[in-house]
Amino acid sequence: MSATGFTGIVIIVLFVGLMVFFSFINKDRKTKNLRPIPAYDKIIQEIKVAVEDGSQLHISLGRGGITGPEFAAALAGLGILKKVIEKSSVCDQPPIASTGNPVISILAQDTIQRSSKAISVTDHDKNPSGELIGVTPFSYAAGTLSIIRDDNVSANIHTGWFGNEIIWITTAGERQSSPTIAGTSQLTAQSVIYASASDPLIGEELFAGGAYLGEEKIYQASISAQDVVRWIIIFIILASVLLNILGINTFFENVLAGSM
Amino acid sequence: MKIDLKSPFSTAVAIGVGIIVLAGYFIPSFTNVRFILLRTGLVLAAVALLVGIINLITVHIKKLGADSDNSGYSLILVISLLATLVIGIIDMVQTYLVGKPNYQMTGWIFTNIQLPIETSLLAVTAISLTYAAASILRKRMDIFSIVFFFVVLLVLLGSFSIPPATLPFLHVIREWILRVPALGGARGLLLGIALGTITTGIRVLMGIDRPYGE
Repeated sequence: MSATGFTGIVIIVLFVGLMVFFSFINKDRKTKNLRPIPAYDKIIQEIKVAVEDGSQLHISLGRGGITGPEFAAALAGLGILKKVIEKSSVCDQPPIASTGNPVISILAQDTIQRSSKAISVTDHDKNPSGELIGVTPFSYAAGTLSIIRDDNVSANIHTGWFGNEIIWITTAGERQSSPTIAGTSQLTAQSVIYASASDPLIGEELFAGGAYLGEEKIYQASISAQDVVRWIIIFIILASVLLNILGINTFFENVLAGSM
Repeated sequence: MKIDLKSPFSTAVAIGVGIIVLAGYFIPSFTNVRFILLRTGLVLAAVALLVGIINLITVHIKKLGADSDNSGYSLILVISLLATLVIGIIDMVQTYLVGKPNYQMTGWIFTNIQLPIETSLLAVTAISLTYAAASILRKRMDIFSIVFFFVVLLVLLGSFSIPPATLPFLHVIREWILRVPALGGARGLLLGIALGTITTGIRVLMGIDRPYGE
């Protein structure tokens, strides 16, 4: 096994161990030791608004597929979709989901059906819907505009894999004066979202939806595990800088090169 | 009592396949199995495209029947989709059975319809991005937005090749921004995304997040 492979296994085992550890020590289900993320507070607020005024929430899951790094963002989006459906079960109008990838579209429809069954939505006309909008970046963006412009849509949640075309989607929400909560794992699209969305999700905030919108302990435990590993990385970076300044970096280079 | 064997079975298959694919990245003896499973996944994803297209047509045919302002767009979409599909089938028959040059008519559609439309949309995107950067201070007047606005302004000025933006110090500032704070920030974000991706993946492997059915 290579050194990279060994490091990968160590990181995964460390993550699993930390998640299990934090889920055991956090006995209190109701207390959440999480820093506030305004975008998630906004989602909860908008669900309440939708319940009160009978409007609809729109969740777009981007156009990420299952074969690349974009799948993680799509999974995070699906998790948020599930939580939103569960929380908006008493809405007159169920949420609408849109995607730009056929596989994610199938997964979204499955999530919708399962969540609707779990919250006993018996009226099929009231079932939330999931649509494949378009499979190219611009066809997806252009198709999503018609949903955003629907007067009945009170807020838009864009969580998944997007490119620069998200600017169309976020500015359309702004023109409709409806709040836009958006997050992606694509770096350039993140800067676009920061500039154009009313409530952006930056960096790993996209992956924290389960902890902020749900009650399950394991989601909060995964956030705590993430924080511990983050501190370890910070420590390694600072130690590397210090060793570099002291001129000890060649020692590790020699060890890695096997020339010691 | 009705026991649903489908859900534990699908969960076990998904977790098992996930673990084997993950192991294939670290343990060389699993590499071949990983490739077989990934190839199977790719074939299934291609089949999903057909399901997605059926879903797209169904949704828009329903919209045609409904009293909606957007039903005109739905009509155009359905006609275009069916026309392209028919042309694609004719092209395929001509290419493989008659022996004509490869996908001539489909190529014409992409070159003369799809490409110009997407290019013009890209141009509009550039304008929209500039507008968004300019209007950020109207949306959120905080320290981060002010920094974002001025950094965008400096980088844009440093990129111009017309006076007075050709001053040497602007190029130096632009290069420094791109090499030091922008690169550092991007790496920080990537580390955060990587951590989020790992936890999401582990939750799927542990069966906590199940996007594949109960």
